[in-house]
Order: sequence, then structure tokens, then C-alpha cells
Amino acid sequence: MSSNLSTRTFRHYTGEKARIARAYDYLVLVLALFLFIGSFHLHFALTVGDWDFWVDWKDRQWWPLVTPLIGITFPAAVQAVMWTHFRLPLGATLCVACLSIGTWIARIFAYHYWNFFPINMVLPSTLLPSALVLDAVLMMSNSLTITAIFGGSAFALLFYPSNWPIFGMFHVPIEAGNSQMTLADMFGFQYIRTGMPEYLRIIERGTLRTYGQIAAPLAAFCSALLCTLMYTLWWHIGKWFATTRYLNKI
Amino acid sequence: MKSIPQNTSTKILTQTNAGRTKEMQHHKLLNGLLFLAMIFALYITTLQPVMAHGEKNLEPYVRMRTIQWYDVQWSRQKFNVNEEVTVTGKFHVAEDWPISVPKPDASFLNISTPGPVLIRTERYLNGKPFMNSVALQPGGDYDFKVVLKGRLPGRYHIHPFFNLRDAGQVMGPGAWLDIGGDAADFTNNIQTINGEIVNMETYGLGNGIFWHSFWALLATAWLLWWVRRPLFIARYRMLKAGMEDELITPLDKNIGKAILVVVPLLVFGFYTMTANQYPKAIPLQTALDQILPLSAKVNAGVVEVETLRSEYRIPERAMKLSLNIKNGSDKAIQLGEFATGSVRFLNKSVPAPVELNTESVIAADGLSLDNPAPIQPGEQRTVLMTAGDALWESEKLDGLINDPDSRIGGLVFFYDSDGERYVSSITSAVIPKFN
Repeated sequence: MSSNLSTRTFRHYTGEKARIARAYDYLVLVLALFLFIGSFHLHFALTVGDWDFWVDWKDRQWWPLVTPLIGITFPAAVQAVMWTHFRLPLGATLCVACLSIGTWIARIFAYHYWNFFPINMVLPSTLLPSALVLDAVLMMSNSLTITAIFGGSAFALLFYPSNWPIFGMFHVPIEAGNSQMTLADMFGFQYIRTGMPEYLRIIERGTLRTYGQIAAPLAAFCSALLCTLMYTLWWHIGKWFATTRYLNKI
Repeated sequence: MKSIPQNTSTKILTQTNAGRTKEMQHHKLLNGLLFLAMIFALYITTLQPVMAHGEKNLEPYVRMRTIQWYDVQWSRQKFNVNEEVTVTGKFHVAEDWPISVPKPDASFLNISTPGPVLIRTERYLNGKPFMNSVALQPGGDYDFKVVLKGRLPGRYHIHPFFNLRDAGQVMGPGAWLDIGGDAADFTNNIQTINGEIVNMETYGLGNGIFWHSFWALLATAWLLWWVRRPLFIARYRMLKAGMEDELITPLDKNIGKAILVVVPLLVFGFYTMTANQYPKAIPLQTALDQILPLSAKVNAGVVEVETLRSEYRIPERAMKLSLNIKNGSDKAIQLGEFATGSVRFLNKSVPAPVELNTESVIAADGLSLDNPAPIQPGEQRTVLMTAGDALWESEKLDGLINDPDSRIGGLVFFYDSDGERYVSSITSAVIPKFN
């Protein structure tokens, strides 16, 4: 790296240089858009998977635990690059926005048009409020430690309440087959999934309900703790992958 | 005459050779591409829609010794969108459950469809409705009924089947269903406990799109706030020049503070609003239904069958079973059918009902006995039953000899002169005979 710049000798790009630098910005942004739509969406689909695919998997225990924990990975790595080298506090929002685009495309074209599921049965969750706060914490703190602890925690804690306006209405009770179910459960029963028997659902299992029926906050706090660690891990992965070694002269 | 210098002529020669080589390479490339295109065209022309569900893929010993289907019937095979069709049938859970297959502590009676072209509206086991997975008991007898409603027009091959946890899918007999009408006419209304009627096809979709759009709008604004300025090269240079303070302005910081306050407030505000709107929301329900088997229908104690020995004759594609049969009924009985792995071998000399609208794979003349005389009341007789047909091979049941658990299981059906039926489940190790 030969970027020996100093405040005294520094001059902003003007004219052709500025135009080319701007064109480069857009080129990188477009490439980043496709890269993150593909890679983050794939990563998310393979790890969060059914918890994000189906409305009858979005429970109080595993969904708020797993989704932020996996959702914070790419944002942390991209923040490490964007913040360390460019002081751009948009890594998390950019990643999560790309994830949202990818998920919506998959839900509409793969699940609805290709496999005939109603889109409301496969509505994706949103991590955008969490991502906005994560970016803001990084910008305000300029600290990996503080962002990991407070930003990572906020990322997890905001997840369940920010998605309840979307999915709360699917938890309205109904009576079917002499039993109580939610509308979400009814989707799972009615809209046939040959490879998804009911017993495969990993929902409401485990001992997180130690404090009675408040499983969601417990899961959220557990996820918050894990997110602080996951954030740090993926920040370092991002740093490891980011390099300016090919940058000879600017 | 001016002579061409040596090095120039060599150069021209080299250039000519290089040109030829390049041309040859182009030809090779073109030929290669043409060959690939031909293969692709051939592949395209031979493409056929997939009609199977992997029913032959599961190991024979699992298909033969887990769920033993019989009497499967569809109420009709042609109907329109919004109309209902019912599939009914019975199954026996084999006593000789394979050791390598987990016990059916969690099983799910499912319907194989290419996506939700039908919806499942009701499901019954032994007359009891059930919505979840169920624990089955080896040796138990069950009858089932599933009510489906047409959703998407088309012609589909549908099976009832069981998902067995950690084991796979055991298919029942299939049927072709023709759904007519218009997909746009499909309705699926559900009444909530509060009495509200909701359309499952659209419920919550607009609301979901609204909230996603709302947060996407804020996120886009945040991204545009940064993207409107020079980004990567310009900021990288400034950072390296120690001008970090200029990269994040006081206004940026104020917006950051606003985000830290406003976003959580909005999130918890909207959460509270939703919680108040749906105060009776409950957690997702998950349970394992417990439904006891029927009183014994198979091995009911009237006709007792013991399998003494089973041999599979590979060249003849025939299973020979030596059965010791004791007729405890008060009428003479005849062995009319042997069913295993959804394949039915019929004894054509015994009139037996054949389900017409399921595609049980049937060997109509596949069953013979060394002594076809009826077994008299109280009589005990050893019979050599031969179930022979190419179906052993085409249905991939002959793969049993390659299984780790080379045992056969199945149902034998006896009929008396009044048409009364007695069913027995048999099981035995299989000895292959190679010549």
C-alpha cells in the first residue's frame, strides 16, 4: 500500500478523476448489491431456513434466537470493511436490505409462482430496524467493543418486537379438529408440504420457559448475548477478507 | 529483384502458421459447441415430467415392514376447484418393525402433491380428528380419512403417505386426480375463535407488505444519505490522510442519535399497538396426538398364520412362503391375496374386491398355492404360497437381498364363502435362491 497521504498534501479529486471515482462507487455498489443479495440470502436460507420460510415456524423460542444470531453475521463482516476503510456506517443496513430483496424475490417466484404457496404463508421477517440501530451504534461509538455489546444486543432484542406487527395477527386462535390452533398452524396443516411433516417443526422446544410463559424475552436476551460474540467473530472474518494490498496508487 | 530479408520471411511464415492454428482452434471450438448443442437438443426433446414421489426409493424392508396399507379409496377423481375429495383407507403397523428404523413415535399422515394444489381441510385417524403428528403403535390397526379441497386446476398424481420421523416416507397407493375450473375461484375462509372470518389466501399479506415497506423506506433513506456523497476512493483517501473527522459530520451524528432513539421507540410502539390489537394471540401450537389403535383387524385371532420359511427365487422373480395356517372361523376360507410394499399379488381363483380407483400395483395372477383347496373350519394346514411377478423387480422390492435386514413383511387376505375377510400380518427372514 503506497497511500502516503497527509492532511497538508491532500487534495480532493476534481474533474475527470472525481467522475471516475464516482463511477467506481456506483460500480462497487451495484456489484455489492448482487453479491449480498445472493450470498447473504443463501447463507440465511441455509442456516435460518425454515424458521424464516414458514409462518408456522415463527415461534417464541427458536425464531427470535436463531434469526438475529445468523442475521448479524454478514452485517458485522461488511461493517468491518466499510467502517475500517471508508468510515461508512451502512454495512448492516446494506446487507439486510439486500437480504430482504433476495428473500422477497425467492418468496414470490420460488415459493408462490413455482410451488404455489400463498405469499402470506411464507412472509419473510424483517431485520431492518435492527440493522439501522447497529449502523448507528457503530457510527456513534467508533468502537468494535461497544458495537458488539450494545449494537449486537440491540440487534437481537429489537427483532421480535419489530416483527410482531407483521406476524402477531397470525397468532389469533382458531378451533379446528377439536383442538386450539393459531392461524399460522392452520397454514401448516392446510397447505400441503410433502417434505415438511409437522414433527419436523422445531418450535417451542427446550427449557427457555423456566420463567413461566415469557419465552420470547428470554430467547431474545439469550440471542443478544450470543449476538455480541457472533458480531465480534464476523467482524474479524470481515477484516480478514478485506484487503487493500492491490491498491498501489490513488 | 529485391530479396526479402530472412527474418521478415520467417516472420510472415510464423504469422501464417499462427493464423492457421487459430483458424483450426476456431473450428475445433465450433465443432465442440455444435456437439454440445446437439446433446442439449437431444436432452430437451426427451424431457418428461416427473411423475413419481420416490416411492420405490425407500429400502424394501422399510416399505414392507412399517406401514402396511390396504383398502385405500378416493371418493372421486374428477372435480373442480373448491370441491372436496376424500381419501380413505386402512393400514396395519407391522409388528416386526425393523430394528434400524426408529419406532413410529412421531408420524405424520401426509399427502404427496406437487405443492399445495389441494389443501387439506380435515384429517381423521380411527374416526378422531387430528391436526398434529401422531404416535403409532406397532401391531396396531388404524383407518384414516383425509378431506382435500381442489385449489389449482391440473392433473396430478397423488398418494396418501406417512412421514416417519428419522425413517422417511412410506407411500400408500396413488391415484390420478383431475382438478378442473379456475384457480382464481379458489376460496379458503377460516373462522377464528372470535368469530371473525378470514381469507387464508390473502390474510395478513397487505399488512406484511406495509411493514416491510415502512422499514425499507427508512433503510433506503439511510443508505441514500451516504450514497449521495463520494464513497469509496474519496473516503479512503481522506481516511488515510487523517481527515477522519470530516467523514462523519455533526449532522450525521445527530441523525445517528435520532436513529438510536426513534427506531427503538417506533419498534416498541408498534409492538404495543399490535399486542393491543390482538390481545388473544397465542403461541404456536405443537403437540403429539395420541390416538389408540382400533380393536384388532389384522391378526384378529380368527385365522392364525405363521410363516415357516421364505425363499426368493431370483430367476423366477417369485417369493415362496411356507405358511402354517389355522382356520379358527366357522367357514371354509381361501387365501385370496398377498400385499406387501403397496404391491398386491392376487389369487385369481378367489373372488376378491379390487379397488378400482387407486393404482395399487397389482399382479392379477400373481399368487398361487400348492394346495388351493379351501381350508376347512378348525383345520390347520401348511401351504406353500408363491407370489411371482416381474413387479418384484420393477417395484424394486427384490432389492431386499441387499438390505441389512433381509426380512419380508406383508398382509395375507383370506375370504370365506360369504365374502367375509380375515387379514393376517406375516413376517419372515428371506433366503435368496440364485438358481
